[in-house]
Amino acid sequence: MLIFTGLARRTAAIAVVVAVALVAMLGAQSTPPARPDFSGVYRPINPFGNAAAGRGAPPAGTAAPTTPAPGQPLPPPTRTAPLSDGSRGRSPDAPQLTPPYLAKWQAMSKSRVAGSSESDKVAQCLPPGMPLMMSMFYGMEVMQTRDKITFFSELNDALRRVYLDGRKPTPAILDDPTYAGFSTGHWEGDTLVVDTVALRDDTYIEGFTPHSDQMTVHERIRFASPGVLEDRIVVSDPKALVKPWETVKTYRKMTGPPDDQLREFACAEGLGHVR
Amino acid sequence: MKTPIHLLAVALIALALAAPRVAAHHSNVGFAVETVLTANGVVKEWQWSNPHTWLILTVDDGKGGQVEWAMEGRAPSVLLRAGWSRNIMKAGDKVTVHYSPSKDGSKVGMIARVTLADGRVLPNAPPGD
Repeated sequence: MLIFTGLARRTAAIAVVVAVALVAMLGAQSTPPARPDFSGVYRPINPFGNAAAGRGAPPAGTAAPTTPAPGQPLPPPTRTAPLSDGSRGRSPDAPQLTPPYLAKWQAMSKSRVAGSSESDKVAQCLPPGMPLMMSMFYGMEVMQTRDKITFFSELNDALRRVYLDGRKPTPAILDDPTYAGFSTGHWEGDTLVVDTVALRDDTYIEGFTPHSDQMTVHERIRFASPGVLEDRIVVSDPKALVKPWETVKTYRKMTGPPDDQLREFACAEGLGHVR
Repeated sequence: MKTPIHLLAVALIALALAAPRVAAHHSNVGFAVETVLTANGVVKEWQWSNPHTWLILTVDDGKGGQVEWAMEGRAPSVLLRAGWSRNIMKAGDKVTVHYSPSKDGSKVGMIARVTLADGRVLPNAPPGD
């Protein structure tokens, strides 16, 4: 049995403290740098692209009925929604389509102008799919862990998962296209770089712009400023696009209730009655 | 006591009429979204449903009769942030509706704005949106 003197006990205690501090320092050196945390609820700043620049998400707490000042009637509204039938042609900012895919778009435009919802997959409660879902027209919730980031769209309750654990798409995954596709990502400093493959060919890039089964999506996601998340998107499709199409989506982080709560969408309530 | 068959039939028809109206839901492309008309009417039903809400409205036809309009509104998730709620309207309320007409000429409209009898204005999008 060892019997410590007072001096020996103090020396031992100091040695333990030094050892713990050394382990902590070494541990800190081997820990990867802190990653930004994208978790939270966001509202889109430019859901309809450049054409509607300045359409911002509401600041918190402004969702109250508007009461006109006495004797100051509000001017009547001039539209109920943005025109979405293509009757004014394609925007210069829209993806440049190859002739066969432009013809598909024109056919859908004709059907829409006639009032048919046939080509409106989102109205049929189907997921908007990538990359259209990143417009996040109504709201977005981001859930982040070390190995995975999940993006949830309030519109049609649509989900996508971005794997950060180093896994790669297997031949089985590539052979099984889905609306959201298969997304893998890695960090480059404060930016999340994401590649998405295995996408269905019956969704839209934006609006009702069609694409082929060869479409892939590359994204760089970061905080452009505190509380403003930015997604720089590049869509490639050698069959449908003349050149890769680039767009930037931005989202404002909601800071408190009620705006930081998404509501259940449950689109299927209206299913079976689409016409 | 046996219930007379004709009373049963009347009861069944009444039940059918009282059943919740199931209106077709549309894409925006079903409406002339850049044309906005006005209707003054009385609320028959306010349906707080997904993916679209429905305001069933009784409107004077100007010939001594009444016609029923189905006014389609945006989703509860959007309207909540624009100041609407499940109980914002009830049967019997007088309202003014700004709407876009259906392209097929049916008595279906897409709501741009509802003005309540007390003057409150309900836009179809949150402020700044």
